[in-house]
Amino acid sequence: MAAGLRTVILLSFVLAVGFLMIILSCALWHNWLPLLVALTFIIAPLPNAIFAHCGSDEYGETSGPVDLGRFLTSIIVVSGFALPIILAHSEVIDPKACVMSIIGGGLVYGTILAYSAAFSQEDSEYE
Amino acid sequence: NYDPRRVCLNPFPEISLGKHRRTVGVYLAGALFALANWTFLDAAVLSAHARSPWGQPDTPPPVHVTFVDWIPGICSLLGYMVIALIDKDRVCGDEGFGDSRAVWRARLILFIGFALMAGGLAGSVTVLILKYILNGYPEQFTYYGYANVSQNVALMLSAIVLWIAQSGSSEYEYNLTL
Repeated sequence: MAAGLRTVILLSFVLAVGFLMIILSCALWHNWLPLLVALTFIIAPLPNAIFAHCGSDEYGETSGPVDLGRFLTSIIVVSGFALPIILAHSEVIDPKACVMSIIGGGLVYGTILAYSAAFSQEDSEYE
Repeated sequence: NYDPRRVCLNPFPEISLGKHRRTVGVYLAGALFALANWTFLDAAVLSAHARSPWGQPDTPPPVHVTFVDWIPGICSLLGYMVIALIDKDRVCGDEGFGDSRAVWRARLILFIGFALMAGGLAGSVTVLILKYILNGYPEQFTYYGYANVSQNVALMLSAIVLWIAQSGSSEYEYNLTL
């Protein structure tokens, strides 16, 4: 238990701050379009999680489905950052709301990445 | 393995980024793909919320993003799908397995894919010149054309990065030779 209770509490705080930023960026300007950013970053780890069990055999060779999962992940992450920029560019949302939702989305996705890196069980069990 | 019948020995350069070459390349290709499409969607959203030109609040915006602007991107996307779906080992001309007709067919389909992508790029430049530059619109509106061109350029770069990442010697062969 190297990554213990303190890590869980820290990560949950960061996640809450991220969602707070996104919801504030919506509520302060009465425009709820930036909430799409939160949705985008929540579904971002899904393709890798789904396709990870498809391709890898015992030789460690990467195959087509794994590549597809990575491709989709990359598309979704870039979309999450690009969406508020585009909405701010065409003045649908405020530029400050754009910055806040990007920071919040980055915090949420960073939390998900850090959590899966800290608590991944597949590597440590077989060593 | 020199074969005098082949014209190009190695159509793409071999770039070695170590063990994670394939992973990094696939992520990079996906990022470029998303960036390309969001660039054009930015122009489309901007056109849907377009204001009048700077300094003249009464005149309506002279030009909008119409279906004509979408056609080059659709061509590039079709070409991208064709290129991504093709079997890389077939094209490289290893005629030891399968029949040689399969290699010929794979090359033909690959040619169609690259022709679609190049057609999309050329079409975007055509739209930029004929629709925006020749009509002398202000810079606020020629941005739509430039976004279209950069979409197609980024799609082509993404296809090339994906091809380089997925072809070449895999880690499986590397493990076997060790």
